[in-house]
Amino acid sequence: MHRTELAKFFKENLFIANLKARRKDAAIAELLDLFVAEKYIRNRDIVLEMLHQRETLGSTGIGKGVAIPHGRTTAASEVLIAFGKTETGIEFDAIDDKPVHLFFMVIAPPNDEGNVYLPILGSLVTILNEKSNRDRLLKVENYADFIALVKGE
Amino acid sequence: MIKKDLELLVSLQDIDLMAEEVGEMEKLGFSVSGYGELKKAREELAASISKPLVFRYERLRAKLKRAIVPVKNDICLGCFLRQPTSIGVKGREDEEIFTCENCGRMLYWLD
Ligand SMILES: [Zn+2]
Repeated sequence: MHRTELAKFFKENLFIANLKARRKDAAIAELLDLFVAEKYIRNRDIVLEMLHQRETLGSTGIGKGVAIPHGRTTAASEVLIAFGKTETGIEFDAIDDKPVHLFFMVIAPPNDEGNVYLPILGSLVTILNEKSNRDRLLKVENYADFIALVKGE
Repeated sequence: MIKKDLELLVSLQDIDLMAEEVGEMEKLGFSVSGYGELKKAREELAASISKPLVFRYERLRAKLKRAIVPVKNDICLGCFLRQPTSIGVKGREDEEIFTCENCGRMLYWLD
């Protein structure tokens, strides 16, 4: 997926420059609460349960300080991505056991128009594999800077 | 906490959706080492829901792939038929399970 296309799935109200959470569960909840507060999700508990089950399948901490909690849920109707970061790393059972600083939460409906869900995840993984992108992300302070990076500007 | 049958059923479908794409997740580089545990969690969840309801879910799933579909702006997102506004009021309480008269899928109100 092209990065300008990917950028369309982010929203300013789903962006946190400084997460308050210090633990894995709290980080997941804090990001999910953005979707709830903006009324993208009515039933928080169902989506929280899905995200926990996803961590049962395997930690979404993909290493190098990055986690991408994600999943499809019957309780959502569009694909949306929240971003959060924290200077204080959070233990996330990541595959390299390193604390996580960058979080991308991807929520998708059971069937999505154009099947963008998997390409979105693929695109995120590719972007986050680049050290220069991770370094820049750790420094973003506002949404404008963030989305410019996502777009590859 | 999730207690209502409809919510439990939605959670069950969410696990099934996840299981469908385990191969793709692994290809993307995500850990799926807990697949056995996920299957166990699925069975435990299914056991906590009334048997006839799980049976209905499985039958719909076999026939229509998705047994439960979201309803948004009164539209069934399984077949895009408009649902009567009157059932939406009760539907949103998640107590009673309504089905789409057109496609037969169980309905879950999003808004
Ligand atoms: Zn329908």
